[in-house]
Amino acid sequence: MAIPLTAYLIVAAILFAIGVYSVIAQRTAVMILMGIELLLNAIGLNLIAFWRYVRPDDYSAQIFTIIIVTIGAVEMGVGLAIMMLLYRNRQTVQVDKFEDLKG
Amino acid sequence: MILDAITQWIAFTAFALIAIGGALGMTTTMSMFRSGIFLMASFIGVAGLFILLSADLIGLLQVMMYVGGMLVMILFMVLFMNDPGGSMMAGMDMSPVENFFSRGIKLMDTENGAGHEEHSGHSSPNDNANGESGKEHGMEMDMSMTTPVKKHAAVLAIVVGCVLVALLLLRPSWPISVLTPNPASAEQIGTLLMGKYMMAFEGAGLLILTGIFGAVLLARPGKFPGDASREAHVSVDEDPAPIADDPLKPLGPKSGEPREISVTDIHRDR
Repeated sequence: MAIPLTAYLIVAAILFAIGVYSVIAQRTAVMILMGIELLLNAIGLNLIAFWRYVRPDDYSAQIFTIIIVTIGAVEMGVGLAIMMLLYRNRQTVQVDKFEDLKG
Repeated sequence: MILDAITQWIAFTAFALIAIGGALGMTTTMSMFRSGIFLMASFIGVAGLFILLSADLIGLLQVMMYVGGMLVMILFMVLFMNDPGGSMMAGMDMSPVENFFSRGIKLMDTENGAGHEEHSGHSSPNDNANGESGKEHGMEMDMSMTTPVKKHAAVLAIVVGCVLVALLLLRPSWPISVLTPNPASAEQIGTLLMGKYMMAFEGAGLLILTGIFGAVLLARPGKFPGDASREAHVSVDEDPAPIADDPLKPLGPKSGEPREISVTDIHRDR
């Protein structure tokens, strides 16, 4: 317990800010998905840090993190399937090109 | 395992630098393949932080699921990209951070770049009415990896980061517990997962099943004949080209007329 809780939370906050930048500024769908994974990672780091320092006897936070990782995996799989479908129809993966619903 | 304070600080600094540096490299490099590798480094750094927080199971899960599973998917999808190596956009105006993280990417030679520009100008005759600026804009739309709001996004991200860090620093303190977690945390998590959080566990399973169904349905080729993705599956070579010159001679003892083989011949050979 030599390291204060705030240090971990600051690392998670910086990761979150980088993820926000990545989601807004990137153009292709893969990079946006990577940014979302970074956001989920920062949330998991926050959860685990709070678990360790505030309630180390209650393991609910770790289960919460496991559920978050699962949801991230499912989101990544479905997102990549959607992207592959869009690529086959439009031959591009840049999200700004998808402006109309019916192609 | 109790580490002393110095070792803990060294490990924390190393893992935090790996995590933050990997994330920064992921979002600023011009090459998408490098982005995947940087993201892998960031995930490994966060897994190290998890282990440092004595959440061994979560760290292991992080390495297995993110690094082993998702990044393979990401790198597979990167191969679909136009210019995954970033050689076309590496020469554009970049900030110092982007310059640092995309060091060593080979530029396309200028002849190819000029040819591409000319080709893009010719391929869109409708844009010629808009004049030079329209063409330049279309060019940038094709090549750049980030959206035009990149500067605003960077400012927004820096503001978000500063506000979060300031909130963390200005907040008095959380009630820190002095307890140390049970070393056999995996057993506790398993018990909780199968007892108290049974419904969440089942819900996650159902979600994964639905996700698999959705992904398979989405990636399936379409049913209609006009579907572009269907052509690869139903295209048949209607008129195959004849074999012009076959260098192999036909089999048999005589190269002339084929020998008649009857059932009795086969039995006589035995």
